[in-house]
Amino acid sequence: MTAVLAKLRSNLANWRDWEINPIVIKELRQAVRNRAVAGMLMLMLVVLFIFSLGFLISNSFDIDSDNQIGGPMFQTFVTILAGMSIFFIPLYMGVRIAAERQENNPDLMYVTTLSPARIIRGKFFCGAYMALLFFSACMPFMAFTNLLRGVDLPTVFFILFFLYLIVCAANLLAIFFACLPLSRPFKILLALYGFFQSIWIIVPAVFASTHMMRAGIGSMMGERYFWIETVTSITIAGALGGLFYVLSVALISPPSANRALPVRRYITLIWLLGGLLALAWVWKAADPEAILVWHHIMFILLTLSLVVVVSNGDRLSFRVRRDIPAAGWKRTVAFLFFNGAAGGLAWVTVLYAITYLMSAFVMTIASPRAATTFSIEDRSHFMIVFPAVLAYLFAYALTALFIHRQFLPNRPAKVAGLLAILLAGLAAVGPGIVLFFLNQLSWNSLEGMQLGNVFNVFYLHNDGRAFYHLCFAGAWLLVAAILNARWFWRQANDFKPLAIRAVPPETAPAGQ
Amino acid sequence: MKVQVKNLRKEFGRTVAVDDISFSFDSGHVFGFVGPNGAGKTTTMRIISTIEEPTSGDVLVDGVSVCEEPELARRLVGYVPDTLPAHGDVTVHEYLDFYGRAYGLRGQKRTRAVEAIEEFTNVAGIREKHLRALSKGMKQRVSLGRALVYDPHILVLDEPAAGLDPRARVELRELLALLAEQKKAILISSHILTELTEICNGVVIIERGKILETGTIDDVLKKSVPRRTIAVRLADVSAGPHLLKEILQMPHVENARTVAGETHFEFGGNDDAAAEILNLLIARKFKVVEFRQTRANLEDIFMTVTKGGVQ
Repeated sequence: MTAVLAKLRSNLANWRDWEINPIVIKELRQAVRNRAVAGMLMLMLVVLFIFSLGFLISNSFDIDSDNQIGGPMFQTFVTILAGMSIFFIPLYMGVRIAAERQENNPDLMYVTTLSPARIIRGKFFCGAYMALLFFSACMPFMAFTNLLRGVDLPTVFFILFFLYLIVCAANLLAIFFACLPLSRPFKILLALYGFFQSIWIIVPAVFASTHMMRAGIGSMMGERYFWIETVTSITIAGALGGLFYVLSVALISPPSANRALPVRRYITLIWLLGGLLALAWVWKAADPEAILVWHHIMFILLTLSLVVVVSNGDRLSFRVRRDIPAAGWKRTVAFLFFNGAAGGLAWVTVLYAITYLMSAFVMTIASPRAATTFSIEDRSHFMIVFPAVLAYLFAYALTALFIHRQFLPNRPAKVAGLLAILLAGLAAVGPGIVLFFLNQLSWNSLEGMQLGNVFNVFYLHNDGRAFYHLCFAGAWLLVAAILNARWFWRQANDFKPLAIRAVPPETAPAGQ
Repeated sequence: MKVQVKNLRKEFGRTVAVDDISFSFDSGHVFGFVGPNGAGKTTTMRIISTIEEPTSGDVLVDGVSVCEEPELARRLVGYVPDTLPAHGDVTVHEYLDFYGRAYGLRGQKRTRAVEAIEEFTNVAGIREKHLRALSKGMKQRVSLGRALVYDPHILVLDEPAAGLDPRARVELRELLALLAEQKKAILISSHILTELTEICNGVVIIERGKILETGTIDDVLKKSVPRRTIAVRLADVSAGPHLLKEILQMPHVENARTVAGETHFEFGGNDDAAAEILNLLIARKFKVVEFRQTRANLEDIFMTVTKGGVQ
């Protein structure tokens, strides 16, 4: 912390030496020369112009003293702008990064002294500047709609701001996907998938902006709740954007770096802030359901984290070991946050456990309105279903780790993560296929209980059956934990700082 | 400044691209990295340049491990890949300026460094041209300029002369000689071995991921090509077949053959024995116009030690 502050102070003192991120300069230079960017911008302006002309001509025959064509025109312009910028800018940035980061052949800028964080920031800011270019080109048309009545200027600016944030978030998402270490065919498939899936960002964005316009954002701006909702939405979007940023930085960092630390630190931070926010909401608004929102979001996030931590290798690089604190509680905390599958498992377990216990506590005892909000069935369902699901998830993860260690030790660590997913998939699909054939080609049996299938737990409405799942998953987890206990213990014991740096033996210089 | 490659191994699936190789080179030395296609040269160079991660082993650049501290090692190594710069839509100056910025050069220092490199690599006249408009030779110069702009102590050049015309090759050779004078440690791979002979102090010969020979050119020459080749040219070319018969019966002589009107033979004796051969030829009335020792070069070493195996 002191080092960070000292660096910040030094940076502020030397403000005359500040320079723009080189990636931003390079990317913007290339973007303004890129025919696709210029073509898309021109296309957008032409479409906006044609639509404006169409609106004006079609409405000029309509003799009505209360004609308010500004509103529909604005909606159309928002749709065009959202479509163009959400489809194009993230795709442009994503494709560029994916091309630069071809498997085993990255662009040479990735092996300069630019830090991974600076590269990702540069890419993001370039996308943000491009979005600004698109938005500013659209701005005169938007402002023009105000003169035609039907929409006020604060609404115009607020909706544009809202859309701009969505474009930036989509941009971060595209950067993250482009940084994934996939081969070219997979990247092309991912780009195509992302391109078509971006419709699910555009449609809600357009609907939300239409709703905001009809609701009259301008008149709501004086209300406190409007700003609470706005700030909350921006904070949640910012937190998600931050997560993709941290993940992208980790993905392009060297394998010897402590890549897990910033990611686990960030997730812990949003977990903590989210939890505090949810608790505050529970007490202030007397709405215990807020804790479930936090629980479910963190449940998804931690499940994804579990797959990632299982994919971590066991061997710590020298530079990571050099940073391990000597002893005491600092070393224990470092074990949770530094690289390594064992520490990662412990970290996920701690966060899962606290999240579940806190939610259960609020649902049953802590909240004064818990009894009226949640029925006994709801609580009982929560108390059985989630532990069963958690037990399954950890059982898959630990079994995958064991299989990888025992049978595929020479394969990369990420194979363990793939195995965990494969186990879950097999447990979900396998019994279904067998039962399908045993049951004379009928799918009816799938609605029954399938022990080992985590997805089946969610389909059971009978808590008694879910309890069987809990027992089965618990037993599986116990066996898997016993099989991994020695490994975990060894990892925890080996998590020690590097006492002296190992100096490799000198090789006789050739030809000298 | 020393580069130490230690027990380096790189696997791509089941293929072992680099198999436990170790060698080192120093400042002021130009080290040739020679081997057939698929020998593992590019992989090794990419590991030294921190682009690839080794499966095992390490490379220490002035004591800095490329596996453990790639960020620090990157400041010390300038890499010229075998592919040309891909950023076709930027100008030469913008390209070099970007890499100057990327390596932390600021303000006037960067401006001076970029201008100096443009002069040094002779691209100042084309600094406003887009990269896509450049010839291969010019792109190669720009690539070298990029690797030099932050003044690294070590240069790793992968096939820098490939596809260059004779003039560009000579100019590249001169540039490398200048860089060696500036006490840079240079590792260069090339298939044009005769050129490497002229600029290299040392050589590493690699095949199927394993080192076959390493050392100074002279040492490797002595070790790999112990017999020297002597060429004899007669005034009367028609006497060649007769000379061939005669010479094969002389002491220390092996593998005599006719090459472009001359008789070449491998000779295992010392200088006195060579002089005795010349005396014998003159005594047997051969009109000897030329009697010279042909210097073995990297090509000879390469052909002697490699088998042409690829992975």
